[in-house]
Amino acid sequence: MRRRLAPTALVIAGALALAGCGGSDSGGDGGSGGEAKLSVGSAYMPQPVSDEMAAGFLTVTNKGGSDDELTSVSSDIAGQVTVHETTGGAMQEVESLTIPAHGRLVLRTGGDHLMFEQLKRKPKEGQTVTVELRFAHSDPVEVEMPVKAATYTPTTGH
Amino acid sequence: MRTKTFAAAALLAAASLTLTACGSGDDSNKPVAVVSEEAGTEKAATVLDKPFEKPDLVLTDTQGKKYDLRKETAGKPTLIYFGYTHCPDVCPLTMNNIAVAAKQLPKAEQDDLRVVFVTTDPERDTPAELGKWLKGIDSRFTGLTGDFATVQAGARTLGISIDPPRKDKNGKVVSEHGTQVIAFSPKTDGGYVLYGEDATVEDYSKDLPKILKGETP
Repeated sequence: MRRRLAPTALVIAGALALAGCGGSDSGGDGGSGGEAKLSVGSAYMPQPVSDEMAAGFLTVTNKGGSDDELTSVSSDIAGQVTVHETTGGAMQEVESLTIPAHGRLVLRTGGDHLMFEQLKRKPKEGQTVTVELRFAHSDPVEVEMPVKAATYTPTTGH
Repeated sequence: MRTKTFAAAALLAAASLTLTACGSGDDSNKPVAVVSEEAGTEKAATVLDKPFEKPDLVLTDTQGKKYDLRKETAGKPTLIYFGYTHCPDVCPLTMNNIAVAAKQLPKAEQDDLRVVFVTTDPERDTPAELGKWLKGIDSRFTGLTGDFATVQAGARTLGISIDPPRKDKNGKVVSEHGTQVIAFSPKTDGGYVLYGEDATVEDYSKDLPKILKGETP
C-alpha cells in the first residue's frame, strides 16, 4: 500500500510546487517549452554486501519546461554503472529514464536504481563515492553520493 | 456571506499548500516522509488466517551438504526468503534488515532463530558464492541452492511466483526475487506471518520476540 501511495504523493507535490514556484522561475514564457532544469538530491548508496556490486539511489528534479532523459552514468568506484528498472521481482537494465518537465525521476529501493558493477573497492558506510550523470539534453551532473548503512532507507532515516 | 467565507477558506488552503510545496520542491524526502507517517500506523506484518505449510524442500547448503528444510527447522522459529546474490537492492536490504534485528535478540533466542535464504538463481549462486555473500550479512544464516524447478515449486507453495533467470538482449542475466519474507511458527511449523519489502529493521525488531514464541505479532 505504501508503494502505491508514494508515486501519487510525489506527483501531487510536484504539481503543487509548479503552481507555487513556476511564476518566479520561468518568468513570462508560460511554462510550456523551455529547457529542462535539472537538480539532483537525496543521493545515497547502501553499504553493499560484497565488492561485487552495489546499488545507488537519488532523485533528479526537473524545474524546466521540457523532458530530459538520464542516459548514462559513471563512477570513480565502478567499472560499470547501469540504470535499472524493477518490475515485480525482476530488475532489468534500461537505456534511459525520463525526467518529466516540472517533475522528477525518483530512484529508490524496490524501484528504479543505479547498479554499480566491477567495483574497485567495497564502499563502506561514511565514505562518499562520486557519480556522474549524463543526460540527453542537459549538461552532465556530478554527484557526491554518501555511503549509508546497509539497512538505510530515506523513510526510516537510518 | 457563506459563499465568501468558503472562497476565503479555499484560497487560504490553496496558499498554504503552495507554500508547503515550494519548500519541499527542493527536498524530495519530504513528500515521502509524509506518506510514511500515514503508513506508519499500518503494521508491516500480515498475519495469515490460514498459514502456509512449510515447503518440502531438500536442497544444498553453503557447505555443499544436503539440507532438508522441514527436518532442519522443525520446531524452530524460521524466516524464509527467496532471492539471489547478484541483486544489489532488495535482497541485501531484506536480509540485512533481518540480520540487524536478529542481533538485538538475547543470545539464546539468536541461536534458536533460523533464517533461510533460498536462491532463485542457482546457476550463479553456488554453495560457495552463497556462503561468501551470507557471510557479509550474518554467518549464521542458512543459504540454500539446488535445482531451479525445485526452488520454484517450493516458492509456489508459499504464494511466491518466480520465473527462471533469463538473458536480456545484452546477454546479462536477469533474475527474480520473491517479494515476501515468510515467518514460520516454532509451535505449529506453519508459515503464519508475511513481511513485504517495506518491512524495516524496526518492524522485525518489534515482531521477532513474538515470532520466537509463535505468538501473533
